[in-house]
Amino acid sequence: MSEGARTQPAPRSTKPGAARQATLYRPLAGAGAGNGRGPDELRAAALAVFEAAELPAWRRSGFWTTSLRDLDLDQLASRHPGRDSGVPEVVADALGDEPLAGRLVQVAGDVVDVQLDPELADRGVILCSLEEAFERHADLARRYFMRRLTFERDKFEAAAAAFWTGGAFLYVPPGLAVERPFQVAYAIDEDGTAQYAHTLAIGDRGSDFRLREYDLAAPFAGRALHAGHFELYLEDGARCRLSHLQDWSAGEGEVYDVSTHFVRVARDGHCTWIPMHLGGRLTRQHLELSTAEPGADMRHRGIYFTEGAEHLDLYTVDLHESGHTTGDTVWKGAATGASRASYEGLIKIDPGAQESHTYLQTHSMMLSPRAKVDAIPSLIVETDSVSASHGGTVGEIDEGQIFYMRTRGLSRPEAVTVIVEGYFEPVVVQLDDPALEALVRERIAAKLAAAAQDIHAYAAVR
Amino acid sequence: MADLEIRNLHVRTEEREILRGVDLSVSKGEIHALMGPNGSGKSTLANTILGHPAYEVTEGEIRFRGQDLTEADPEDRAQAGLFLAFQYPVAIPGVSVANFLRMAVNTQRDEPIGVREFGSELRRATELLRVDRDFTSRHLNDGFSGGEKKRCEILQMAMLGPEVAVLDETDSGLDIDALRTVAEGVNTLHAQTGMGALIITHYQRILHHVTPDFVHIMLDGLIVREGGPELVDQLEREGYDWLRDELEVVTGAPEEDDV
Repeated sequence: MSEGARTQPAPRSTKPGAARQATLYRPLAGAGAGNGRGPDELRAAALAVFEAAELPAWRRSGFWTTSLRDLDLDQLASRHPGRDSGVPEVVADALGDEPLAGRLVQVAGDVVDVQLDPELADRGVILCSLEEAFERHADLARRYFMRRLTFERDKFEAAAAAFWTGGAFLYVPPGLAVERPFQVAYAIDEDGTAQYAHTLAIGDRGSDFRLREYDLAAPFAGRALHAGHFELYLEDGARCRLSHLQDWSAGEGEVYDVSTHFVRVARDGHCTWIPMHLGGRLTRQHLELSTAEPGADMRHRGIYFTEGAEHLDLYTVDLHESGHTTGDTVWKGAATGASRASYEGLIKIDPGAQESHTYLQTHSMMLSPRAKVDAIPSLIVETDSVSASHGGTVGEIDEGQIFYMRTRGLSRPEAVTVIVEGYFEPVVVQLDDPALEALVRERIAAKLAAAAQDIHAYAAVR
Repeated sequence: MADLEIRNLHVRTEEREILRGVDLSVSKGEIHALMGPNGSGKSTLANTILGHPAYEVTEGEIRFRGQDLTEADPEDRAQAGLFLAFQYPVAIPGVSVANFLRMAVNTQRDEPIGVREFGSELRRATELLRVDRDFTSRHLNDGFSGGEKKRCEILQMAMLGPEVAVLDETDSGLDIDALRTVAEGVNTLHAQTGMGALIITHYQRILHHVTPDFVHIMLDGLIVREGGPELVDQLEREGYDWLRDELEVVTGAPEEDDV
């Protein structure tokens, strides 16, 4: 599917540094709603961009590059296991038997499972594939679809917009509060899969709900791609606790993930958004949360933990489009092995957004002498009368803490485990979701156990 | 032979030699006080007994119950029955006191401690030290006041039940109530389990609440005087200068803060 890249000569330089864009904010301009284009027209437009675009590389200030130029798209294809192929074990294990408000599972290109509490369906909740939403709830789907997402910034963003299949659509009607979580899961279980995902979720006025999205790989050997879009629109007074759990690292499979996630919070709405990146061969994600109208408030908490040869490049945006909006962002990361993790967090306050108040902090911890981490908070403030501040730390484990615990009988690796688990714990408890908290703690513990040798090696060189 | 035997101990950091041949014996059931001015090497001795990696033993040995621990890992020393109450306990954010104590207790056992048994031991220890049970659900030393940190050290000591505990300036920065609680904790463990203690202090006040069997005075990396409780009174009256004058200690070592 990469023929286009070769037949259409790209009019841009390929010399290193040509695509230095990671530190430059490129707004999500909105491809869909409001400009009258339906899904087929958007697909066609996105396809044209896809065919013209090169495989991207993001470069920043000379020492950080995220490149997908080695990815051979000819080796990847959309796969359709069939709608009756069943929920993969890796997803079933992660979900357990916890009662949910509803769930939707997509494997490769097909939605294989949709369940919705019938009582919620009676009250107007919609949970179905995005394909089905365009057939049965066309007005709603067309009103919101790609309202703020774009497909023009890079080849994979265009690919996701051009080639998505299945997809998830959630609508929570006005005033409805749902305590149990809605669950969306995307799974990849085969070598050579290109999964193009799209989740569209809408919380209508005054609704209150929880949404979890899991990205999981079943054990397989080989390479796969996940290029995804996620968009959530919270209307006036709506509240959502949103979490993303990304763990593509179940087997030997190497999953490349280039995705864009966007959340818009309208007047007096609130979103607590907690993404967790716990595995993937290469991840480049743009996560943007807009407090778009007065009174909108957000809490953004994130975790990443890279290992082995993983490469993670996160770019988050705390966007204030209107005055009297508030935000609070905290990201915590750790890296073992020879992994690379970069977190860049931008606070952007638009002209006219006076009386906005926000804070961003990011912390990274290196657990291996070969790991590299990078934490860059930044600010673009285009108005006055706001408060916005940020801070970042990159550090190693404090030897004083380790000695303290060893005098209580813990071994060095045990002490490191306790320190790292404790480091993530304040974010984990904010999930306020016992099943998910248990899952995340278990994954963090497993990653630490897998990194035990590294942690020993780290001790030896010190 | 005493339980903890320190023989001709020479210790240096990257910069300089701090201990220059220390001999000290502490047995179970004995309370020892180690006194001395700032910079004399008291904290270095405490940290070296537990195996702090920043301190290098260049000569001499540390034996505990016949076992040579001079090069042992800190966790092996702890499991052998040594304990250090830190002068400046570090915070471990995100880890509750109770969870940490459970992990520490489990390092001494083949099978993990049962929930009920741990609960009753923790209750016994918190009652002994008059700490609120809620205290144990807080994160270890994170945001604790100075007094809370020291109580937490003694709580850990009570839960781990060491053979010999080293208390490094546990009394500094404590108000009188906290000081009494700490002292009672030491006295009770001493009485109940026969725990031995090496109480390192710059002041005399904790020794009004815990009566030492032996008093050692350290100056410039050496133990220069040993005796009974009467030495404490003499120091209280006369300070350390008389000792310096009497000994005419010539060291050339610069005055530094406790290390």
